[in-house]
Amino acid sequence: MTMDFHPQPAPGQARPWTFPVPGRGVLANGLAVLRCHRPGQQVAAVSICLDLPLDAEPDGLDGIAAIMMSALSEGTSKHTAEEFAAELERCGATLDASADYPGAQVSLEVPVSHLPRALGLLAEALRAPAFPGSEIERLVRNRLDKIPLEMANPGRRAARQLARELFPASARLSRPRKGTEDTVPRIDAAGVRALYQARVRPATATAVIAGDLTDVDLDAVLADTLGGWDGDAAGPAPTAPVTPDDTGRVIIVDRPGAVQTQLLIGRAGPDRRDPAWPALVLGTYCLGGTLTSRLDRVLREEKGYTYGVRASQQVLLSPAPDGAARGPGMSLLAISGSVDTASTGPALDDVRTVLRTLAAEGLTEAERDTAVQNLVGVAPLRYERAASVAGTLADQVEQHLPDDYQARLYARLAQTSTAEATAAVIAAFPAGRLVTILVGDASQIRAPVTALGIGEVEVVTA
Amino acid sequence: MYAPVGHAATQQAGSGGLTATEHRLANGLRLVLSEDHLNPVAAVCLWYDVGSRHEVEGRTGLAHLFEHLMFQGSAQVKGNGHFELVQGAGGSLNGTTSFERTNYFETMPAHQLELALWLEADRMGSLLAALDEESLQNQRDVVKNERRQRYDNVPYGTAFERMAALAYPEGHPYHHLPIGSMADLDAVTLDDARAFFRANYAPDNAVLAVVGDIDPEQVLRWAGRYFGSIPPHDGKVPPRDAALPDIIGAELREDIREDVPARALMAAYRMPRDGTRECDAAELALTVLGDGTASRLYNRLVRRDRTAVTAGAGLLRLAGAPSLGLLDVKASGGTEIPQIGDAVDEELALLRAEPPDAGEMERARALVEREWLDRLATVAGRADELCRYAVLFGDPQLAFTAVSRILDVSAEEVRAVAAARLRPDNRAVLVYEP
Repeated sequence: MTMDFHPQPAPGQARPWTFPVPGRGVLANGLAVLRCHRPGQQVAAVSICLDLPLDAEPDGLDGIAAIMMSALSEGTSKHTAEEFAAELERCGATLDASADYPGAQVSLEVPVSHLPRALGLLAEALRAPAFPGSEIERLVRNRLDKIPLEMANPGRRAARQLARELFPASARLSRPRKGTEDTVPRIDAAGVRALYQARVRPATATAVIAGDLTDVDLDAVLADTLGGWDGDAAGPAPTAPVTPDDTGRVIIVDRPGAVQTQLLIGRAGPDRRDPAWPALVLGTYCLGGTLTSRLDRVLREEKGYTYGVRASQQVLLSPAPDGAARGPGMSLLAISGSVDTASTGPALDDVRTVLRTLAAEGLTEAERDTAVQNLVGVAPLRYERAASVAGTLADQVEQHLPDDYQARLYARLAQTSTAEATAAVIAAFPAGRLVTILVGDASQIRAPVTALGIGEVEVVTA
Repeated sequence: MYAPVGHAATQQAGSGGLTATEHRLANGLRLVLSEDHLNPVAAVCLWYDVGSRHEVEGRTGLAHLFEHLMFQGSAQVKGNGHFELVQGAGGSLNGTTSFERTNYFETMPAHQLELALWLEADRMGSLLAALDEESLQNQRDVVKNERRQRYDNVPYGTAFERMAALAYPEGHPYHHLPIGSMADLDAVTLDDARAFFRANYAPDNAVLAVVGDIDPEQVLRWAGRYFGSIPPHDGKVPPRDAALPDIIGAELREDIREDVPARALMAAYRMPRDGTRECDAAELALTVLGDGTASRLYNRLVRRDRTAVTAGAGLLRLAGAPSLGLLDVKASGGTEIPQIGDAVDEELALLRAEPPDAGEMERARALVEREWLDRLATVAGRADELCRYAVLFGDPQLAFTAVSRILDVSAEEVRAVAAARLRPDNRAVLVYEP
């Protein structure tokens, strides 16, 4: 007995969807507010973007921004650290703070029914953090404990090495976001307070709020909460220009006995304001966006060397266009994945063959069309949750992009030609100008990798 | 294509004005349909009632490896065509394998829904037409690299595998994880794969949920057209008996010397099965104990004693065997494990002795409700929950009342389940020493 077969069905009529363009306003205290009503989304997302690029950290105190951001919720004028955490969780809320190269963000997610209460707590954390010495000490020690845990992860160890290789030691970009074993012990409450006073104020901050706001009187709630945050004006935070070094070479981070090698192959690229960004997004997808992209077609689906290899681009710096001493924007372009130890040499060789073939022959029209259909088509799926929308809007703010950037990006992708996507991805991933980091067993992989003739091969200890 | 260790921590669903209708084709395929027209998207989720618990000795990992083979083509779909067609239509897709089930899902722009149904039907009905030795060899290598990447090449990567092996005795269907062993993966033959398909991949062993911007009448017509002629069969072998006593009876312990970055104390407690009120109480108990940054363990070990870098606990719900209460503490600096162990036991003793206070219950309920809202925020999340309750409990509507059942549990019931289960003689303990 077999089934009846039918021909592949044709699609129906598409219902249009566009990425939401938020409403923008400013509170009396200077806080910019982007609001975005997302019908049906019962978990609201709030992101507060602070003008605090890591370049604003004092010399020798790498990681102080991350500690300061975490410490915002570890005790306030009204609540101890334990009380504050319990108050938040009684709202069903989660609060995440991050300090990244382009800026710092606090992200709150909370059921809409508890949004007013949670915004009150968020405002308290921003307006009146206590920065108790004992809590700062705890955060410092906790961070020092986490560094070895993170460095034991091959992907994170590779990322740390790549940053060190690509950027000069003087550039903040060359050093970990959350600091090192050398810098973190120097962080104390006085330094945290000083950084807070220098850079945390409503006049240079933006709040992004997304969710089903049907039953929320947001103006009144904001007046009662974030509207009470005060502070003076401040100039834009400094960022310094950076010159990357993408000389083709290989660095092996030795992990004796590792059963896989973590690959991270990268160099620096432009930020999202580059006119070729949509072409780069398309080309990178064709190279390594998914299991049927060029890299996995060979490394996974033909050879079985890996569970998956991906190509990506991530913005590292996108300074405001105004002001002096500001460098151009920068992103990290990367190919990453892990392969079994014995396949390291052959897999690297295949990556290079894929890149050379791409450079020689370019993308096909069909590849480009599929990439456009996927990247544009998945947008309504990708942005179902309020947190996805708020996160993208917050990144736009942090990268000094217009509020309709993402909404327009989809139209720009659809208008990008195969030739443009080809040119962008070839320029982004030239086989001879990529820094290759391998976290794996040097005794097993050094010889086969050296034989490929990629460039100088250096072995460092894990 | 990912083999989760099972459902992490809490997973349940609740109403929020959502409804679903149920249907059954003549060949036994169950359908669950739920409309939501807010976004032009539709989720297709197909649960097969087969997981690693159905595997036999010497063939661990077969269910998950087979899940990979489901993406390697069928009668009308060439090679990687399943991925290419869905992604080219603007959809996203994957499959996962757990102890208890295998699921496949496509989230599509609503106007491409019919394509996803056609693709799922093609492989349900005709996978063997395309399955060959080359695909098997290739995906075997991919899965072995998945195992290396997610278990063998990361610190503590095999911790859960070791705890399951302790908590469920040798020969028990949950003794091994879906990822399987390298030796067993090597041993899988094309005949094994074919037999596995014939035994488990049939319309009467599956539930199809379609959620989102859909016309239910039209979806029913499409389902009948594409799935209706796939023959049912009755060759399925039920999983081995998974019954166990409520209490292990003595603490089981494994000491591991490995090159890990910090000492660690982990434990798995044998807990009530999913689908019982006691299991819902256990979820609240573990939330009070170890979920979030205001939990008892976090406050004690990370904030006050400062003996731990991280400390948490959660419930892995299982329907076909005892659930697991999982504890994970990474030690700070030079702290020795006995110091952490004593503190954990003090906190457990308190939880067994006194009901949590009103503030703690409010916190636990709010976190559970939040988790449930997150699960239902997407059409794909809803489709998965509907399948879960249909496959494991026979009633998809239970998805819409799950959260209210948990919120109904009293503080005294939380204490009672802790007293019954969160005991030293009911746990498998792992201690890592660098």
